[in-house]
Amino acid sequence: MTDNKVIIDVKGLYKTFDGKKMILQGINCQINKGEKIVIIGPSGGGKSTFLRCLNLLEKPTYGEIWVNGKLITPVDPYLHFDVIKASLTYGKMFEKKRAENPIISDEDLSNEIIAEIKENDLLNEKREGRAFKDLVKDIYLNNYIQIDLARQKMGMVFQHFNLFPHMTVKENITFAPVSLKLKTPEEAAKRADELLERVGLLEKADAYPSQLSGGQKQRIAIVRALAMDPEVMLFDEPTSALDPEMVGEVLDLIKQLASEGMTMIVVTHEMGFAREVAERVLFISEGLILEEAPPEQFFNSPKNPRLVQFLQKVL
Amino acid sequence: MFDKIIDGFVKTFIAEDRYKMFLNGFWNTIQIAFVATIIGVIIGAIVAIIRVFHKQTGKLVILDKICEIYTTVIRGTPVVVQLLITYNIIFVWSTQAVLIGMIGFGLNSGAYVAEIMRGGINAVDIGQTEAGRSLGLSSFTTMKSIVLPQAIKNVLPAIGNEFISLLKETSIIGFLGVIDLTKAAERVISRTMNVYFPYISIALVYLAVVYGLSYLLKLLERRLAKSDR
Repeated sequence: MTDNKVIIDVKGLYKTFDGKKMILQGINCQINKGEKIVIIGPSGGGKSTFLRCLNLLEKPTYGEIWVNGKLITPVDPYLHFDVIKASLTYGKMFEKKRAENPIISDEDLSNEIIAEIKENDLLNEKREGRAFKDLVKDIYLNNYIQIDLARQKMGMVFQHFNLFPHMTVKENITFAPVSLKLKTPEEAAKRADELLERVGLLEKADAYPSQLSGGQKQRIAIVRALAMDPEVMLFDEPTSALDPEMVGEVLDLIKQLASEGMTMIVVTHEMGFAREVAERVLFISEGLILEEAPPEQFFNSPKNPRLVQFLQKVL
Repeated sequence: MFDKIIDGFVKTFIAEDRYKMFLNGFWNTIQIAFVATIIGVIIGAIVAIIRVFHKQTGKLVILDKICEIYTTVIRGTPVVVQLLITYNIIFVWSTQAVLIGMIGFGLNSGAYVAEIMRGGINAVDIGQTEAGRSLGLSSFTTMKSIVLPQAIKNVLPAIGNEFISLLKETSIIGFLGVIDLTKAAERVISRTMNVYFPYISIALVYLAVVYGLSYLLKLLERRLAKSDR
């Protein structure tokens, strides 16, 4: 389906909350292995929601997300022409339009109808007949991956750290790999020590999160995600809840990971960090990617007027 | 005066081995309270988890409805009436009053424990669940190992109160003809006509047990609080 350079493939992603407010309105985005993406944009523009959709902490309303060539969302019929063509709605429209217009070629007619169906959201998934249903099921069964499995390879770091307060630092780090039987307790403990050593917090191994500073907590949260040996790391405003003097230590760790080739997607307000680390910067506002470019071009010659306005305010 | 006190004591406890009635009553009280507490905690935890799970995912609609009706009915009717119904209607074929008392009180306590636990679970930051799930843990493991331990720590004082009220509430089990501590005192009084010793002494026994229980709970709370120094 996708070539194996792509690690995350987002197709036609929409998200509404309670069917009212449109948070994301049609995001398409491919992220390659090893790529460092930074997402910036105004609050409420949908950047965090987008990130949280990538590991399904938010369920997309429409659209598909593929991780490592595997589908983690349900099949979105609007994204598959063959599925639309198998629907009863398509069949009926085809006959009707054919009668109205005998000259048009099959292909043109078909494209017209597909466009119309997509435009007006005409499919009713429960009433599109057996062929439609079977095809959707087929695509799903051939491609899906259970979300818990996909999440094991996608580390996530939160704004508010979300360390487990009833566990020691070391237990925080080893709990998931041991509980999921990915590592023996000894292996997990050894890995935890290595990672703690690396971030300079080995002496905090037996401390509880409440005994750590914000910067230390966030570094432990990063280590906890790394202990799962993820293929991609998602950072949701990792420094926004930190005191200013602690931002540096966390950003340094993220930079270090970046330099080692970790694929990462970072939602942040730190423009300096974006310039330095990103290979591609996305500007998400009003639920859309309004601009995406390498940082040089993104910051020096922005095209989208909304971005120009945004950069004027923050820089 | 002093003679009278001695006489009352002898009549209440020693004559006809009446202390055995008290001991027997005490044993029934403890048995019923202990088993009912365990039943209550199990039912309460299950009901709370079902209700929270339903709220989070929208699944288990029917189970959630059953749980809601259960808590509404139990909390809306007196425990004596519940016991009488359990004994005389639901288990009409059985005369095992102690066992039925355990079940009746357990069902009653379960509804209260469920509401306490539900509050406790909801009070745990949603970020904890998200962090657990984002590591690839199942919703079950996340609930069991990450959310519940924190929730239980938060609700322990309230659950402790519930245990204490339950222990004291068992004093109405006499309605089913079970000789618990309270009923034993009444039986003794009906023989000796001395009200002071039986009533005061059982009050002291209840007090001592509740005091011991509070002490144990405090120890447990302190142990669980070691992570928030």
